[in-house]
Amino acid sequence: MWLARARSIAGWQVTLGAALFVLGFLIAAQLASEGPRIRITSQERTPLVSTVLDLQKQQDGLKQQVLDLRASIADLDAAGEGGTAVAQQLNDRLEQAQEAAGLVALAGPGLVIRLSDSGVPVPADADERDYLVSGADVRTVVEELWLAGAEAVAVNSERVTVATAIIDIGGSVLVNSAYLAPPYQVSAIGPSDMFDRLTQAVGFVDFIRSRAETYGIGVDYAVLDEVDLPAYAGSVTLRYGFVEASPGPDATPTLGPPLGSQVP
Amino acid sequence: MRRPSSLLAVASVLFLLGFLVVVQLRTQSADQGLAALSVQDLTELVANVTARNNELRDEVGKLEQQRSAIAQAVERGDTSALQIRSDLNRIQGWSGAAAVTGTGVQINIVGSVPGDAIELLLNELRNAGAEGIAIADIRVVAGVVASGPEGEVTVAGRLVASPVVLTAIGQSQTLAGSLTRAGGPIAQLAARYPDVTITVAAVDRITLPATERSLAPVLGHPRL
Repeated sequence: MWLARARSIAGWQVTLGAALFVLGFLIAAQLASEGPRIRITSQERTPLVSTVLDLQKQQDGLKQQVLDLRASIADLDAAGEGGTAVAQQLNDRLEQAQEAAGLVALAGPGLVIRLSDSGVPVPADADERDYLVSGADVRTVVEELWLAGAEAVAVNSERVTVATAIIDIGGSVLVNSAYLAPPYQVSAIGPSDMFDRLTQAVGFVDFIRSRAETYGIGVDYAVLDEVDLPAYAGSVTLRYGFVEASPGPDATPTLGPPLGSQVP
Repeated sequence: MRRPSSLLAVASVLFLLGFLVVVQLRTQSADQGLAALSVQDLTELVANVTARNNELRDEVGKLEQQRSAIAQAVERGDTSALQIRSDLNRIQGWSGAAAVTGTGVQINIVGSVPGDAIELLLNELRNAGAEGIAIADIRVVAGVVASGPEGEVTVAGRLVASPVVLTAIGQSQTLAGSLTRAGGPIAQLAARYPDVTITVAAVDRITLPATERSLAPVLGHPRL
């Protein structure tokens, strides 16, 4: 009788029941994930966390403004060429310089490496931070990609340029002073043998041994026909330097007084 | 045949399910790192992001002025050649494609350190706002990495022997202060390499050479 009744339950009812069960689980998980954060967040930290999130949101808006203004200026430059050969040549050179500097979003063949925090249980006497992806990890991967022949690199939404610093603050990683949440996706455009060169490099092998094998830092790869890299949306203004009219190296700087030193 | 109301119920629940999965994943990935930071770390983070935002506001201001100047030139029927040339110089100087002169610091490293020690200093200089860096007479641009073990460090394919001289253009006090702060990169290297001496001096005027590398992408193409 029980069996006959079970058979009479429609398939959609089973689906709905299962979905409601998972829904309940997810709501509970969401509430649980909020709970400890509220408990451990002190009165000082709560406004600081929201300040960081607000500032990051503002930064995203400012970066978009920079990109939009650059695009608008490029259109005006093209309109202002005025048909003169000099202006046209200059505009072509400007576009090439912008591409070379990382100010233009690029696509091309390459490689994506995803670095994720360790899933290995942290031993009681260990430092929890060793099991998280650090700025040094991201920097190592970026450097090894350059050495393996990459011609352009980005970390998550941040293009790596001549001015890019990758730093740690606590357990968080900042690239171009933008806070990035893990996992970190390091994308590179480069030659078809870039993956082989990377995985055979001593520095990268050391990194895998010391971080992935020792602490369980996740390192996943994907070789792709087309990798998209964002444009750098930061300042390119020189405040303390200027471009010489006739460039040339000057190996004899005028030294001022020492500002700091380390003597063993 | 299934009733429409039952299909609607299943669809609604599945939609809500998908939404909650996304919310849960986003919540965990975006805020987990911040929630674990100390007040001191969060304060430092706020300072960093604020500094970048201020730079971006300045950049927005300059770009708006530039756009306005070009628009007026176009309206007058002039070419924007002068403006383009100025922009070109600025970008080439910033990227390392052109030589740059200015004030900054010189760092002397006496003794053998590996490439990653030099990279630590370069990263700190960039974070402190260096506008251009050179190692010996090699301009550091995107793609140039100091690598190799102690005594065999190469930069852009060239062996760099002790003493290694780094020069950087930027605000001297800020660059030096960042390098020499307690727990900073020089302090870290002093602990790792006690026989190595690293000194930092202000430089009134120095010229960093243009890079010899081609910076133009060959395999990548502009994304439309």
